[in-house]
Amino acid sequence: MSSLAPPALGQASSRAGGGSVIRVEDLGKTYGGQVEAVKGVSFEVAAGEIFGFLGPNGAGKTTTVSMLTTLLRPTRGRATVAGLDVATQAARVRREIGLVFQDSTADGELTGRENLTLAGGLFGMTPAECRGPIEMLLSRMDLADAGDRRVKGYSGGMKRRLELAVAMVHTPKILFLDEPTIGLDPQGRAGFWRYIQELRREQQVTIFMTTHYLDEVENLCDRIAIIDHGRIIATGTNDALKENVGGDVVELRVPDRARDLTEPLRSVPGVREVLREANLYTVKCARAEGLVSSLVMACDGAGVTPEGITVRRPSIDRVFLELTGKAYREEGYDDGRAAQASAFGGRRGAKN
Amino acid sequence: MLVELFALLKREYLRWVRAPMWIVAGLMTPILYLLLFGQAFNLGALVGSSPQGEAALRAALWGAPDYFSYFAVGMVGMVAVTSALFAGTGVIFDKQLGIMQRTIATPVRRSTIFSSILLFRGFLVVLPIFIVLGLALAFAHVPGLVGLTVTQGVGALGVGAVILAVFILAIAFTSLFLAFGFLFSRVESYFGVVNLLNLPLLFTSNALYPVGTEPGWLQNITAYNPISLAVDVMREVFFGSSYYPHPVYVYLLGLFAWAAGLVALALFLAARALRTK
Ligand SMILES: Nc1ncnc2c1ncn2[C@@H]1O[C@H](COP(=O)(O)OP(=O)(O)OP(=O)(O)O)[C@@H](O)[C@H]1O
Ligand SMILES: [Mg+2]
Repeated sequence: MSSLAPPALGQASSRAGGGSVIRVEDLGKTYGGQVEAVKGVSFEVAAGEIFGFLGPNGAGKTTTVSMLTTLLRPTRGRATVAGLDVATQAARVRREIGLVFQDSTADGELTGRENLTLAGGLFGMTPAECRGPIEMLLSRMDLADAGDRRVKGYSGGMKRRLELAVAMVHTPKILFLDEPTIGLDPQGRAGFWRYIQELRREQQVTIFMTTHYLDEVENLCDRIAIIDHGRIIATGTNDALKENVGGDVVELRVPDRARDLTEPLRSVPGVREVLREANLYTVKCARAEGLVSSLVMACDGAGVTPEGITVRRPSIDRVFLELTGKAYREEGYDDGRAAQASAFGGRRGAKN
Repeated sequence: MLVELFALLKREYLRWVRAPMWIVAGLMTPILYLLLFGQAFNLGALVGSSPQGEAALRAALWGAPDYFSYFAVGMVGMVAVTSALFAGTGVIFDKQLGIMQRTIATPVRRSTIFSSILLFRGFLVVLPIFIVLGLALAFAHVPGLVGLTVTQGVGALGVGAVILAVFILAIAFTSLFLAFGFLFSRVESYFGVVNLLNLPLLFTSNALYPVGTEPGWLQNITAYNPISLAVDVMREVFFGSSYYPHPVYVYLLGLFAWAAGLVALALFLAARALRTK
């Protein structure tokens, strides 16, 4: 199996030392002996890290989180959280972690405060012991005024924030978040990101979060793993992943009917690959700085003057495209047909 | 462990007091039975008031002085079933809403989760039973109403036996229906099975009508029905032992055996539902 292991990039291997809080080896889950949802994943998360688990619908994110949080029994491999085996030491693992579910789990008939007191109670905290942390969390989450209202009257965003508070009442050092920002507006997501960063900075909480928002991993996560169809297809820091899939990209637009520039561009030192699509050339290189002038000179040498030049670092979107050969499946593309549609003509965001 | 138990009980309690219609409806049904059905249906009037007639009626009613007294004790069994009917619905909703998952993800012990549900749901069964018993006893002192007339002195031991019977019966039926709550994930399946059980349970018992006229095979079933056993305990305490083949503790033991079996069933299905899959 080790030969099939996904590439560990950047700081991944150096960080994964004694400080790993989550250690996953060849973890897999087959539902009912039939649906192989997770097909043997391995990764490590260091103390104080924000680790992003990125993947489209049905990739196996929730299944992985459920195994790590002791809610599902792995059918293959093993995992430890805080040094405890999730299969054999489940009860002790539960003490160490906080968990935000993909779907809201608060009791709608109870108020926000009552839900939080219940959450603390389940960790053995008396109502008096909970009070301090609860008031702090409520004001942190902008829920102080709504704390005595029943949760069924909360907006989607308020429910999400309450969910995070519920996971934090017992001040865990390890937090699992399954698509925590789903249904939040941009402002809500920014606020949530800020809170997550504060948590890590002030309390050294280790955070494992799944998401299918690309911008979320780019802005928030120290390292990410990309999972698709139950397999991790890459692990590393944002930058490492981007460099690995071809680094920067320079796009050159030339006049119609100009002669073919593929060869001259390819011969420029530092260029890795040149793709042509009509009069648009995509040049891949490790770093674009210093290369643009050489590219323009190569065009001049062939008697063509570029009409436009764009330089960009690849997005995680592009990383995904490179690794899977298909565009990142957006929300809603959750079945095979839709995935194909987006692989064949689809740009990202071109829904339906 | 107690902190966790209280936290879970508090949640059940809050949900309960916030559904006032539910409470009112749950308590009103048995009261309506006592007021309407029990008052109107007077068997004694059919037999007439000759001394022979009265003796025959007493024998048919297993020592009860009138049908209402007989029926009011039977209402305890009926209320136990009809209020326990809903015991499993909370579990199903909690499973559907993910609240159960959230609870399982915490270190709280599975046995604590089970105990909290059994305790609270059991309380919701015991409460209307004592209301019915209390009302029926009170009716006997209200002019114009028929009530539950106790025909012999009831000592502390008798009162203890009645209370014990009520609690064991409540635990037995709460466990039975809780078991189905843990077994099924849809309310439709739950009520399908529960309704199927509900009527045979009641109609093979001695709760509602005198059983002397039943065919022998049905009398045999009736004798072992848990409702009958609880009702026998109470009737023997209230109306004297002369019509009963066994002393009170025999019925109590039989009832206890039922409760033990049903609690075991519920525990088994709960453990299955709460364990890591
Ligand atoms: N209880 C289950 N029984 C059978 N198959 C399941 C079960 N839960 C999930 N699956 C399947 O396992 C696969 C992975 O599901 P999972 O929920 O882990 O995906 P996900 O990455 O969390 O997706 P999403 O982004 O939609 O939440 C899917 O194909 C799903 O249909
Ligand atoms: Mg999911």
